[in-house]
Amino acid sequence: MSNNKIIRFENLKKGFPEGNRIRHVLNGVSIGFDEGKFTALLGPSGSGKSTLLNLACGIEEPDAGDVYIKDVAITQLTDHDRTLFRRDNIGFIFQFFNLIPTLTVLENIILPQELAGKKRRDIESAAIELLDKVGLADRRDTFPDRLSGGEQQRVAICRALAHDPWLVLADEPTGNLDSKTGVIVMDLLLKLTSEAGKTLIMATHSPQVVTLADRVFRVQSSTLVEDVEHVPAARPQFIEDA
Amino acid sequence: MIEPTSTSLWPLLMTSMRRATRRPFQYVLFVLGVALGVAMMVSVDLANGSATKAFQLSTDAITGRATHRLVSGPGGIDQELYVQLRRELGYTNSAPLVDGYVNIPEFGDQPFRLFGVDPFAEPPFRSYLGGVGAGDGGPGQFNPNALTTFLSEPNSLFVLSSLAAENGIPLGGEITLDRAGEMTTVTIAGLLDPQDESNQRALSGIVFADISTAQEILRMQGKLTTIDLIIEDEADQAAIEAILPDGVRLENTAASSNAIQQMTAAFELNLTALSLLALLVGMFLIYNTVTFSVVQRRPMFAILRCLGVTGGQLFQLILVEAVILSLLGSLIGLVLGVILGRSLIVLITQTINSFYFVVNVRSVIVDPWSLGKGVFFGVAAALIASFFPALEAYRTTPGSGLRRSTLESKVEGLLPKLFGAWIILCAIGAGLLALPGRNLIVAFAGLFAILIGFALVTPPVTVTLMNWAVRPMNALFGAIGRMAPRDITRSLSRTSVAIAALMTAVSVIVGVSIMIGSFRGTVVQWLDQTLQADIFISPTSATANRVEGSLNPEVVSALTEWEGVTASSTARVVQVFSPQFDRPITVAGVNGDVSQGQRPYAWLPDGWDHDDVWNALATGDGVILSEPLVLREELSYPPEPITLETNQGAVDFPVVAVMYDYSSDQGMIWMGSDNYQAKWNDTEISTIALFIDENGNPDDMVDDMRRTFAGRQDLVINSNRSLRETSIDIFDQTFAITSALRLLATIVAFIGVLSALMSLQLERKRELGVLRATGMTLRQMWQLSFLETGLMGLVAGLIAIPTGFVLAWVLIYVINVRSFGWTLQMDLQPAYFLQALAVALVAALLAAIYPSFKLGQMIIASAIRSD
Ligand SMILES: Nc1ncnc2c1ncn2[C@@H]1O[C@H](COP(=O)(O)OP(=O)(O)O)[C@@H](O)[C@H]1O
Ligand SMILES: [Mg+2]
Repeated sequence: MSNNKIIRFENLKKGFPEGNRIRHVLNGVSIGFDEGKFTALLGPSGSGKSTLLNLACGIEEPDAGDVYIKDVAITQLTDHDRTLFRRDNIGFIFQFFNLIPTLTVLENIILPQELAGKKRRDIESAAIELLDKVGLADRRDTFPDRLSGGEQQRVAICRALAHDPWLVLADEPTGNLDSKTGVIVMDLLLKLTSEAGKTLIMATHSPQVVTLADRVFRVQSSTLVEDVEHVPAARPQFIEDA
Repeated sequence: MIEPTSTSLWPLLMTSMRRATRRPFQYVLFVLGVALGVAMMVSVDLANGSATKAFQLSTDAITGRATHRLVSGPGGIDQELYVQLRRELGYTNSAPLVDGYVNIPEFGDQPFRLFGVDPFAEPPFRSYLGGVGAGDGGPGQFNPNALTTFLSEPNSLFVLSSLAAENGIPLGGEITLDRAGEMTTVTIAGLLDPQDESNQRALSGIVFADISTAQEILRMQGKLTTIDLIIEDEADQAAIEAILPDGVRLENTAASSNAIQQMTAAFELNLTALSLLALLVGMFLIYNTVTFSVVQRRPMFAILRCLGVTGGQLFQLILVEAVILSLLGSLIGLVLGVILGRSLIVLITQTINSFYFVVNVRSVIVDPWSLGKGVFFGVAAALIASFFPALEAYRTTPGSGLRRSTLESKVEGLLPKLFGAWIILCAIGAGLLALPGRNLIVAFAGLFAILIGFALVTPPVTVTLMNWAVRPMNALFGAIGRMAPRDITRSLSRTSVAIAALMTAVSVIVGVSIMIGSFRGTVVQWLDQTLQADIFISPTSATANRVEGSLNPEVVSALTEWEGVTASSTARVVQVFSPQFDRPITVAGVNGDVSQGQRPYAWLPDGWDHDDVWNALATGDGVILSEPLVLREELSYPPEPITLETNQGAVDFPVVAVMYDYSSDQGMIWMGSDNYQAKWNDTEISTIALFIDENGNPDDMVDDMRRTFAGRQDLVINSNRSLRETSIDIFDQTFAITSALRLLATIVAFIGVLSALMSLQLERKRELGVLRATGMTLRQMWQLSFLETGLMGLVAGLIAIPTGFVLAWVLIYVINVRSFGWTLQMDLQPAYFLQALAVALVAALLAAIYPSFKLGQMIIASAIRSD
């Protein structure tokens, strides 16, 4: 297996008990992802896209096989080290925005850094700048339940990017939004990650988004298959630069 | 709306059962909460009931078919009266009795009643002497052989055959009767074997001798304790009353045993109230679990509503669940209650024996009525606590899978109302407490109203405190510190109930601790002031706190003339009938004041001092009343003269003082010994207190005296210090039961907090999953858990401080005064309040361990996936 890939899955297996037998969702996935590229994960609902992303960031453990990120086998780390690794390197965007309801917009965004022991005053300005970029600077002291779905997801994007991770994992980030809002959110996400040269892996259903991806993988019969015919399109701009 | 014509709850119950098998923990806690509440209630009820029942049975067995009896003052009835009754009036429905308490070392250390009877007079009254010995004489007849021994040989005894068998004493074997320290060896001449259970039980505390043997042992030569009578018409009664000498009274048997039982009513009611507290705390717990189960199933309920299930059916479902679970809990509670009752009965019997009357309780009598009551209260508590959650379920609409936030915003709207409820309940409570009269149930209703009021004000106070806490917590603990108070506010419907439960339990701890502490302090001070003599001597007695029997006169004179003894004060303590109060009352004929003028008085006539009082006692008819007597009988100041039945008929005694006394809640009267002896022709001495010269060492003298009297009489000789210690021991022993019940209430509250935390964390699983996914370490999650529960414990502790104080105030100044007539000085120490905070914090933090541990095992991805 080539070692120039920044993220590598090696013979990854994952199954879930169903009744008294195990149903294999991923059965021997070995594949690599390129640094600084946008990879799209395709597949019907229930095929294992979320499971794959969860394994990639270490919030789920495989039955067999390993996940290497920057040559660190995160599957071999202790839970504590894996948490620290995730905190420092990865930003995760969930399908259901998953903001913490007791924290304000700004507090949600800086939470991962605060958990890492950073002082609020040192990180606030960068977070506000980010909020400004997604057009929510004036909502920073609002609690999440007062925001619309699209707004919440934009805050979630800020949270995933605030600590400047080089790797961003997104699990159907627009899956719960209407198509118009989805387009706006998606554009923001792509812009913010590609500008900064971040590696982005995204599970998605949207054909429009797929065309923008550098590479496309499909989850098929419990393995990952690359869509070799995929040609990345030039990225259109949905929103004018400020 | 049209209800379906036939509905079945079964499919819905099936879903409940599924849920119970998949998430058993919540259900277990529900059941446990009910079980502990019921156990506490049932155990107290059984223990109280067993004591009452044991007393009743022995009274009934002793009374037999007697309708009336002749009784007299301390000296006993001259047996000539019995002869007169039979010969002159020809009244054969009469039986003489001599009765008193003895210890029988061979039969363990419970007091026994020695009963001297005339076998020939017995049959109309009591039948159990019928089956004596091996032969069956039939009812009312004696086995001839046994009877011959019984009558012809002095010091022969009849005892229950199972009692003898248990203690390994055969027919013809010898045992020792210890009467006030004087030992007599007696032979077992017959074994009683009554066929029915209740007579068996009653007789297990009694031994029988013939009249003259009993008179000898009890030192009542020529005297009878009572003469039992069966009086069928008023003419007979009048004829008997006409020949009664002064000092002998005809009393109705039912009325008198009732009066004795009334003595413990207040004591038992206090215990019952304390046990109801556990049920109250348990109700918070139930409310919490049921609310959680409704909130969690709300999406499912919404779907069910779409499928045609009515709101009413959901309402029923919740209540049926509550009934099933609480039935289960109650049954477990019954078993626990019986087990617990066994320990409680020991403690209760000790207290009753020390303070009220002698009762010999050998086992818990499992009264089905008590058990039924336990189940009823368990289920009723669960139904009441489930009512509001069930209403929530009822209101589920098909459209809205109403979410938590909706519930919480409802709670927010409730806050001002809760605050109002607090004010109203406290006002009601204060009003009830202020009502004139001595009604204890009204006082407890007031106490509970205030307590519930404080529980209701917990949510608004929690919100306020949590809002204040955000800033400092943020400064101290950063992001996690900020989240903790907000989490508590956000789940207020859940957290505040747990806090309220914990608060209630802790406030009871504070209140009861302050009360006991103040009580103890008051008693210690009272003992310090009162017990000024150096050495105290009394006969050994069947019970710890009361004097039975009297000192041998030779012993008394030897003691007063002992070398180094400078002065002495004697007392004769007896029960005397008071026609004024229609009950017996303790009278002490004393010579000199053991306090030597140190004791404070609750009331003195204007311008009088200590010397005036004791002069009035020594030289006249004056008496001193104890404060509990004044309160109990609701006497006014200055007290009117007290009427007592003497050997010269009813006599009025002027009251010259009222003093504090913590030895009896039934009240006591002191008078000069000359006065006493003149009125009752009784020169016996019960206790003596000695003052020694300054150079003497009381401990050495006590040793000397013990050595000297070792062969003659088994006396209790105490130095001042050891008497105080003994008194305090009795005090502590009396409150041991309170401490035990207090602890139980805390355990229930602890389970409440645990259950609340479990449900909260289950609910927040997804949120915590997200936190973990975005970089929260396991350690930080534990930290968050502990900060949250720590804050909850702290709030509970903080609210418990004023609540506990109010509780203590009510206990000391209302409940205690009404129950026992004791005035206590409230003694507030910071330790009580620190203890409150510590207990609340520790309970809350301990409760956090298991849920946090469970959370640590979660798979983050599954947590996020779950909804
Ligand atoms: N914790 C779990 N327990 C049981 N089954 C699971 C669990 N997580 C995922 N699965 C199953 O694994 C399969 C893949 O799920 P997922 O990765 O969420 O698919 P996708 O994201 O592609 O829709 C599904 O069939 C799902 O039911
Ligand atoms: Mg998915």
